[in-house]
Amino acid sequence: MFNEMYQSESLIRNHYNNINEWLEKMTAKVINEKNAEAETHFRNIGITFSTNSETARERIIPFDLIPRIFTFSEWSKLEKGVIQRAKALNAFLADIYNQGEIIKANIIPKELIFKKKSYEVSMFGFTPPRSIYSPIVGIDLVRTNHNEYFVLEDNCRTPSGVSYMLENREIMMRMFPDLFHTNRVTPIDDYPTRLLQTLMSLAPIKCNTSEPVCVLLTPGPLNSAYYEHSFLSDQMGIEMVESTDLFVEGEFLYMKTVDGPKKVDVVYRRIDDDFLDPLCFNPNSVIGIPGIMDVYRTGGVNICSAPGAGIADDKAIYIYVPEMIKFYLGEQPILENVQTWSCDKDDELNYVLDNLSDLVVKEVDGSGGYGMLIGPKSSKSSIEEFRRKLSANPRGYIAQPLLDLSFSPTLIKNQVEGRRVDLRPFCLMGENAQLSSGGLTRVAMNEGSFVVNSSQGGGVKDTWVLAE
Amino acid sequence: MLSRTAEYLYWISRYMERAETNARLLDVGYRMSLFPNPNGYNNEWESVLAAAGAIQGYKNKYNIIEQKKVEDYLFFDEDNPSSVFNCILNARSNALVVRTSFTPESWLAINKTYQEILKLKNNNFNASDLPNLTEWTIEQVNLFRGSLSSLLRNDGYNFLYLGLFVERADNSARLLDVKYFVLLPKPQYIGGNIDNMQWSILLRSLSSFRAFRWAYDGDVTSTKIADFLVLNSDCPRSLSFCIQNIVKHLTNLTCSPEKVNKIYNTLKDLNIKIQEEKIESIVDFGLHEFVTQFINKISSVDSDIQKEFFN
Repeated sequence: MFNEMYQSESLIRNHYNNINEWLEKMTAKVINEKNAEAETHFRNIGITFSTNSETARERIIPFDLIPRIFTFSEWSKLEKGVIQRAKALNAFLADIYNQGEIIKANIIPKELIFKKKSYEVSMFGFTPPRSIYSPIVGIDLVRTNHNEYFVLEDNCRTPSGVSYMLENREIMMRMFPDLFHTNRVTPIDDYPTRLLQTLMSLAPIKCNTSEPVCVLLTPGPLNSAYYEHSFLSDQMGIEMVESTDLFVEGEFLYMKTVDGPKKVDVVYRRIDDDFLDPLCFNPNSVIGIPGIMDVYRTGGVNICSAPGAGIADDKAIYIYVPEMIKFYLGEQPILENVQTWSCDKDDELNYVLDNLSDLVVKEVDGSGGYGMLIGPKSSKSSIEEFRRKLSANPRGYIAQPLLDLSFSPTLIKNQVEGRRVDLRPFCLMGENAQLSSGGLTRVAMNEGSFVVNSSQGGGVKDTWVLAE
Repeated sequence: MLSRTAEYLYWISRYMERAETNARLLDVGYRMSLFPNPNGYNNEWESVLAAAGAIQGYKNKYNIIEQKKVEDYLFFDEDNPSSVFNCILNARSNALVVRTSFTPESWLAINKTYQEILKLKNNNFNASDLPNLTEWTIEQVNLFRGSLSSLLRNDGYNFLYLGLFVERADNSARLLDVKYFVLLPKPQYIGGNIDNMQWSILLRSLSSFRAFRWAYDGDVTSTKIADFLVLNSDCPRSLSFCIQNIVKHLTNLTCSPEKVNKIYNTLKDLNIKIQEEKIESIVDFGLHEFVTQFINKISSVDSDIQKEFFN
């Protein structure tokens, strides 16, 4: 196992020395006070999830006070690796919606792509501005050793969590200003500015102004990421709209304002493909903007991410990302994939069934850490139960070995204990490709747990990248 | 500005204003319950409910009018669309949507109020806690209003204030309407205890009890009170003050001058009349009739604003 802070039982890694001293000085009283302060802060700014519970109404994600730290050189490697991956994923999307070279080269079987629901037929033959389909790519990473990272998952549609990255830093700077005097932490607060620049650099061809009008399209207050939508649009100074605020007239998209219609150039959408345009996708949808796809395809507006971008983060496509990197970029992958067995192939299915107690099995379309089996952590009966589910629908599952996620020091009942963490940095793809200088570190707060999802007892930490 | 944003801003300040009005009404009822009444039993709670426009809803839920129930209904009850709790809940859900259109302080003011009222609601309260609840509500609303001072003076600002003054005009006028008879000169009552008490209800519920004494010399008379609450544009809750501010924030809007003009034209006469009128002639004409006309006018201005700008 790899511990982010301890090189050995008695030896602290250099870049954690300051934090260690700080921790040793903190009394239980201070920890309690600061925890309460953080909770109040998160509640006050409203960074909450809606819940159905009568008493709580809204829930906040547990925040751990101890930051997770990367050295400059550690981060540089990650940065190169994530940007490489984001470029390859965008190249892949451009390819499969046009020539399909990677299929012709027999690298990815065509039925894996064209039969997927997330493959959007109406995108065929259309190329969005700068050939960018996914302008914000969130890559989920885990660390297993000093120099060993694995990509668990790519998020090419609308990765969320960046507001936590920013707010976690805000609260740390507010509560522990001294830490930022003694540690040279790279700032991240320019992320919204960079996001806006990215969106503006992706203006559609018919946009003839140097300052394109961008909006953030949200499904509304009931969405669990609603706070993030309002936070980002506020930070960027752009309107947060719902689909009822938008309408198509002639060749363009407009929003309804008190001055009358105002033309919109770029839509940063945080809603699913299905709810974009009832004329094109889901005819039964009562939300959506009729005709927006026509405007999009004729260059009147850009939709970020592009409809159909989700095919690139499909769990079955994931297996091929290292191949994509070689094929499109002519480079060796910097970040490794986790070895993955796809259960729709007979020989791989048999291997998985024979080794269920050593493997993690996930639903191809699942998320949130639900519907998965963690073999080494499961009882015999639940493994047998899962075996039946898997045999009945092998196509719906993939399997991976259980990775030994790194431990990060975490305050549990005022004691420092090791808990497993992952990392989601955010990569922006526009005129430039760039990575946030930090990311969202999620931590499995329960002892021994491998599941970092907030829906299942996960918490978050501030993530530091030290300056050179 | 998005039409929906303008609409939500307008409603946020309406809800916050309404929360304050209801809290003040409750305080008045509470105060009156401490005084002896010639009829032996105090029925102020009924007129409190009437002034809050909640009497029908209350009677659908309860058979008898009783302090604790009225307090609960007007303050916490989620079945009462205008309860202080619901006003804050609604203001907060609107604020969540338009927090990008005002300052972080305004959002914090509303959201903290919401967090606290959730806690207050979960604690069982005693009837005698009411003065604290009222004071708390007024403080919270003032916090919100104070936060508005750092806003950009753009259309959003004007929509917020339009909402505030439309709501206040309506609240003040409805209160006058419920209580107009106490301001009518009836020789047999003048100077009596009941009158003094009734007048103080009116003034207190419009947060003008002390202000009145500063504004007028000499004896307290019903005519002076009527003048203060209807025509005196120094009084921040008088009908005159409200309408002047509606006109001001309406004509400050920079969007759609033709819509602004259209609404302004329907208001112009009333605005001029209220500046020039003498209280004696209003009383001669009929205070009740005057207030009724005023309420109708405000309600049509409200629907014009909604129709022209938000739809």
